[in-house]
Amino acid sequence: MIKIVKRDQPSRAIFFFTPVLAIFLTLVAGGLIFFILGFKPFEALKFFFIVPIADKYGFSELLLKATPLCLIAIGLSFCFKSNNWNIGAEGQLTFGAIVSGGVALLFYEQEGFYILPTVILAGAIGGMLYASIPAILKTYFNTNEILVSLMLVYVSKLILDYLVVGPWSNPEGFNFPETRQFSDSAKLPLLFEGLRIHAGIFLALAAVVISWFVFYKTYLGFQMKVSGFSLKTARYAGYKGKKMIILVFLISGACAGLAGVGEITGPIGQLHREISPDYGFTAIIVAFLGRLHPVGIIFASLVVAITYLGAETAQIFMQIPKYTGQVFQGMILFFLLASDYLLFFKIKFIGSKK
Amino acid sequence: MNTNLKISNITKIYPGCVANDNVSLEFNSGKIYALLGENGAGKSTLVKILSGVIIPDEGKIYLNENNLKLNSPLDAKKNDIGMVFQHFNLFETLSVFENLIIDSDEQRESLREKIDTIMKKYNFSIDLDIPVLNLSAGQKQKVEIIRCLIRSPKVLIMDEPTSVLTEQETSELFLSLKKFSAEGILIIYITHKLKEVMELCDEVAVMRRGKLVSVSAINNENVESLATKMVGQNLKTIKKKKEKTSSDQLINIINLNFISEDPFETNLSDINFSVNRGECLGIAGISGNGQSELFQVLSGEIISDKNSIEFNKNYIGDLNPQERREYLMAFSPEDRLEQAAIPQMAIFENVALNNFKSSNFFNNGLINENKIKEHSKKIISDFNVNTDNIELKSQFLSGGNLQKLIIGRELITSPDLLICFNPTWGLDVGAINYIHETLIKINEQNKSIILISTDTDELLKLSDKISVIHKGKLSKIMNADEVTSEKLGILMGGGN
Repeated sequence: MIKIVKRDQPSRAIFFFTPVLAIFLTLVAGGLIFFILGFKPFEALKFFFIVPIADKYGFSELLLKATPLCLIAIGLSFCFKSNNWNIGAEGQLTFGAIVSGGVALLFYEQEGFYILPTVILAGAIGGMLYASIPAILKTYFNTNEILVSLMLVYVSKLILDYLVVGPWSNPEGFNFPETRQFSDSAKLPLLFEGLRIHAGIFLALAAVVISWFVFYKTYLGFQMKVSGFSLKTARYAGYKGKKMIILVFLISGACAGLAGVGEITGPIGQLHREISPDYGFTAIIVAFLGRLHPVGIIFASLVVAITYLGAETAQIFMQIPKYTGQVFQGMILFFLLASDYLLFFKIKFIGSKK
Repeated sequence: MNTNLKISNITKIYPGCVANDNVSLEFNSGKIYALLGENGAGKSTLVKILSGVIIPDEGKIYLNENNLKLNSPLDAKKNDIGMVFQHFNLFETLSVFENLIIDSDEQRESLREKIDTIMKKYNFSIDLDIPVLNLSAGQKQKVEIIRCLIRSPKVLIMDEPTSVLTEQETSELFLSLKKFSAEGILIIYITHKLKEVMELCDEVAVMRRGKLVSVSAINNENVESLATKMVGQNLKTIKKKKEKTSSDQLINIINLNFISEDPFETNLSDINFSVNRGECLGIAGISGNGQSELFQVLSGEIISDKNSIEFNKNYIGDLNPQERREYLMAFSPEDRLEQAAIPQMAIFENVALNNFKSSNFFNNGLINENKIKEHSKKIISDFNVNTDNIELKSQFLSGGNLQKLIIGRELITSPDLLICFNPTWGLDVGAINYIHETLIKINEQNKSIILISTDTDELLKLSDKISVIHKGKLSKIMNADEVTSEKLGILMGGGN
């Protein structure tokens, strides 16, 4: 007989084991789906998860996709750790990209060492400005940050649409919805000849280190932890709740904005309609898969980045729509939430009584 | 008809704790039985087993020789076992009548007649058509009782029914219970209050740590003998030496008002009082009359007008709790697990919640873990917290040890004023004694206390002055030695 028993305490080992279990179950379920679709499961999974990263170029692509995911997820973990539910990173990314893109266009065909830092800073500020809207509405008007931040995503996408079609569209661009190419001084340098991986990865790594330090070594990190467990306790301890809400939103917005900068000033070098394949939303999965821990987030962003690449190879070699990638992302989150059940309950096998 | 309820060899084991250890008991109608024990003694588990909420690991229940299988509360109802829980299970916005018919399949009209008959018979006067939220706690309890009586139960179980009642409401309840008993309903009364047992019950079963300690007729017992059985040791009685306190004013509350945006909170109006050095001001009241709001206003969780609180000659009404701590105030909230401490965090992290400049827990925004740990070790040894591992998550401390940790954390800074709200709520007698002794010691060191409590005995024991809060207003402040619990009861109920 199988019996489910509540644990005395959530198990520390299980805490880090469940993400691995979730990934394993995702692979099994994914294989099953491929089988039902008439593919050989192992071969399909190989195309999905191994072929894309088998060569140098593939590995560079993996890091390229993982960079924004990691950066955004690090930012989000500031919010999620302190009980603030910012799910509008996609909007903050877009708005950051708009602001930094606008600044980059100002320097059209100009050169100078100061241009790139200005462009990067503009992106961070854009993301912060956009994240400050749900934060301020939450602190001063008691609105729900989930709704506000989510809805602002669509607003930002429409602004971007308007700009690249209208005022900012390339005059010589035959009405394609895109801006002029940024000057080389406004672009993040590529790290290797012939590969698309760019210097944005250092921004992500810096964010990882800084966030680890803040979470575990600073008073701010301690306050975030307390607020995450109980807002009542935070108030009793006398923490300035409003200030902290705004601060974590700003940090998270800045990270998303920087991810946006990486997308447009990296290999692409211009603003256009589709600057992000929903990195801002997928990063929510990354943050939770990484258990809101900086190191966990690095691994999680690599795993989830594969699903983007795998979807593309699967489309090319197996003629499966690339949206399979989203199916895999959804499954990871689903299995993660489901296996979190094991944090609080354990399964006991009991010999049947006669 | 005679009712006989027999529990035989009930065992219920939770991880890490045997809640009921082979408990056997027998009850007969015509008598009122007390089930007495400290918190955590296993009373509630036993009662939940009887009402079908919990299924025991082993053991059987017989009602009039029939073996009952109680797999759900519905089974208990079907077998004529009625239960009134400590916390009411009523829909606040529905009318009394709607609440009563919710789980009945009888027709509205016939049910209304039945309810009217019940109310007449027992002298209950409740308007059936007003929403439950307009009722007092005593009336709500009557609604719960009527809900049981509609089903003409053979057994009625009352779980700590007086914790929310005034003195007057309590004596009314006792009268009703005696009537029910005379009519043949078997009554089981769960409590940890010894006086009530002596006053109401015929037989008393005492439980301790999941085991049945004794069953005896009330005539063979007295308060002291029961207390000894309940705790398992002889308790020294604590008494406060009430001396003349100083006239040196420490805190002065001037025309303090609080109007809440939340309809479920109580507004405070025109609160005025002062506390001198070395004095304990007790604030009595039935829970939900503004105590929680008053505590938050005093602690700074709710900020008020700057001039409404004068502390040590500074006006501090607009400061937050952390800023108030710098002025040497300390706070111990009612809710240990959700407010005063964070169960998922380690002991030393919980200590860091009471942070002020000179503690140096955080320097330049960085955590100074060594300092916090050093401080935590001192608290643990000074305040007898029963562990030596400060990395332990505080959820593994018993209620008493957690409260000692919290009080210790607040007191280690030797504040001038400690404000505490129900500091001994839910603790066992040993821990209560310890906390009481600690509070008396504070006063002896010429420090002051504001004690907001719903436990009248505690207030009478510890306070120098007492006031009563009712619907957000304070009564006049009385000297504790001129006050009786009867008088407090009247004020708590809103009388004069």
